[in-house]
Amino acid sequence: MHHVMSRFSHGNQIWKAVAAAMVLFGAVGCDRKQTAESDAPAVAEGAGGDAAVSNLSGTIKINGSSTVLPISNAVREEFIKVYPNVTVEVDGAGTGNGFKDFQKKATDISDASRPIKPGELSNCNENGVNFVEVPIAYDGLTIVVHPDNDWVDTLSVDQLKKIFVGDDAAKMWSDVDPKWPEEEINIYSPGTGSGTFDYFREVVLDDSDASMRTDMNLNEDDNILVQGVAGNKYSIGFFGVAYYEESKDKLKAVSVINPKDGKAYQPTTENIAANKYAPFSRPLFIYVSTASLPRAEVKTFVDYYLANVSELCEQVGYVRLPAEVLEKGKENLENEVTGTHFVTAEGESRSGPLVENFKPENLTKEVSQ
Amino acid sequence: MSTLPKALSEQDADFQQSNASRRQRMSVWFYGLCVAIALISVVVLVVLLVSIWVQGQSRLTADLLMNSHSELDIERSGMWPAIIGSLFVCGVCALVALPLGVGTAVFLEEFKPKAKPLRWLHGFVQLNIANLAGVPSIVYGLLGLTVFVYMFNIFGQIKVNESSGWELMGANHKYQVLSLETGNVVFVPQTDPDQRQITIDQPVQGMDAAGDPIEIEVWQPGTPKPTDPAVRRRTVRSGAIGATVTEKSWYYFRLPLDKSFLAGGLTLALVILPIIIIASQESLRGVSPSLREASMGLGATTWQTVRDVSLPAALPGIMTGSILAMGRAIGEAAPILVVLGAAVAKNAGPQNLMDNAVTMPVLIYNWAGRQQDEFKELAAAAIIVLLVILLLLNSAAIIIRHKVQQSQS
Repeated sequence: MHHVMSRFSHGNQIWKAVAAAMVLFGAVGCDRKQTAESDAPAVAEGAGGDAAVSNLSGTIKINGSSTVLPISNAVREEFIKVYPNVTVEVDGAGTGNGFKDFQKKATDISDASRPIKPGELSNCNENGVNFVEVPIAYDGLTIVVHPDNDWVDTLSVDQLKKIFVGDDAAKMWSDVDPKWPEEEINIYSPGTGSGTFDYFREVVLDDSDASMRTDMNLNEDDNILVQGVAGNKYSIGFFGVAYYEESKDKLKAVSVINPKDGKAYQPTTENIAANKYAPFSRPLFIYVSTASLPRAEVKTFVDYYLANVSELCEQVGYVRLPAEVLEKGKENLENEVTGTHFVTAEGESRSGPLVENFKPENLTKEVSQ
Repeated sequence: MSTLPKALSEQDADFQQSNASRRQRMSVWFYGLCVAIALISVVVLVVLLVSIWVQGQSRLTADLLMNSHSELDIERSGMWPAIIGSLFVCGVCALVALPLGVGTAVFLEEFKPKAKPLRWLHGFVQLNIANLAGVPSIVYGLLGLTVFVYMFNIFGQIKVNESSGWELMGANHKYQVLSLETGNVVFVPQTDPDQRQITIDQPVQGMDAAGDPIEIEVWQPGTPKPTDPAVRRRTVRSGAIGATVTEKSWYYFRLPLDKSFLAGGLTLALVILPIIIIASQESLRGVSPSLREASMGLGATTWQTVRDVSLPAALPGIMTGSILAMGRAIGEAAPILVVLGAAVAKNAGPQNLMDNAVTMPVLIYNWAGRQQDEFKELAAAAIIVLLVILLLLNSAAIIIRHKVQQSQS
């Protein structure tokens, strides 16, 4: 190391080197707008010739359900093509975390894959956050079997519980129904981290202390689930409604018996929209803060959201709402009708289908604690 | 040999032979074992790279590099904002962590105090750093959330429609009012930052998006609406509400930092600080004491010794540690998810100091978790890009290190 001594008086060399390294690590790039934007169809607004590009500006903050995130992202993507000066920040920290931000007035809009809970409502009340509750789409899941499976056409929630819940769950098809073949059930399920799995678990566990069986084939890749079920006559699986559409020819969708009317329904768009395919379909919501609505950018965005969500939600794999529910949501927004339809004044959650609950008489603005 | 006892020198030749060959065989086996163990890690790396390559190579397109995340046009999704975002975040991280880390290491190695309370402090800092190096990065994420994002709420909470925190520079507030022409707005200058809304019921002096003054007309419902689009664009409905929007210059700065790339970079700096400190300490410890003693002997002060002797000699080691640390920083997803959130929809890198950023690991995390195959392939392709960028940064740093070493000899 004697060579160091020769630099005895020129130590500032190292500061230069350190500075150079920093500049390198911090390589500052110039910003380039998305190129895809430029070839987006220019949307002409109004009659004016050069009014194609709007000068609306501002920032909109959204947080909430990761299930709703793709829808909000899709709306944002189309929105900023028309209103390029508006910044829309969409985060997907989960419905609960989204409401936490919403209560703290950190967001303008909260995405939710379930209605607001009584506790969240009372927090909003305390902090003076008023909101309009707007349903935007349906999410649903499909239970599938092998197309050669000739014994299962319909399943009830109880039968599904026998198949999926607990470590003492049915091993053989004959354990579920003695008339069915004495063959081992092969189960394919989305991974435990997915929203689909959570949703399925919520329905079949139904607030009980039991847990899902552990000996299922879990996989995040829907193709592997499709291949798994399609490759074995004695298998069963489930995934999001949208993904069944892509593999309709390889699989058979099971009709689920609606506990309310005892009839079996296929997971079709019509049945989901009519709320017959229960309990495996759920509504998705956005909650819009009324304090933000006077802002031109928020109002324009929410109007745009509701005008386009039906087309866009189908593109990202969800089911559109019945037109009258969507219209009701628009109306509530226009009149700034605040409150939720899913909590009673006594602070109890209201369950049941969206179309039944989403009525003015069910509106609750505040919960009495 | 002649001095050895007879029993030893005349030991069974066969025994000697077989013992030696057995030991030799053991040695060869052990060598083989070591090579095999070393190969396992190489094989794992190769398998990883090959599988990622097979999965992702079809998506390695110009679109991937130049576009941004898209839900509707998955085929053409890209990671440009994430590349820029990662470079910004890691740039902040390097600017903060390198001086702090090297400085701390110099303090711990070169300025060993003699007084007892100071020695105690010295030992305490040392112990803490050793512990901090083992703390999972998600914990730093939570720390960053409190310290940088919310700043203990000392500067107030950032609330939409109410408060933007302490805006120190670069903010220009104005009221935005919808005009009669759909999708078009006019602006009214804002003088009182606390009054976030105004109602317009008579003509006022306003401005357009470029800041040029215009005369804002008011239309009374019930009277005929103007039809000329140019007039409609500067006419607002009587009673229209103007709400604050903030025009932000690139140097826009406010406290707390909120979910900005600065907060992300500072949090990552916390993550890699212990690594840099420990690497720098090791490196400084490796400098021969005789060099220091010679320097001191010539009458140099401690500062001069550090500046001209220890630090230059230790620099290659310090840079190696820093390169490894920066490699970790650019690949960290957990603390960034906590601090900046999981948002991936952004069309450009940060536009101002307080802007959010998407980073490559967060984008990869998001894409890998999607159900569409296209997104999974994109995730694999994005991993390849991340690795290439990492290699580029590392090789640049190695070249710089090499240059420094050469200039020293």
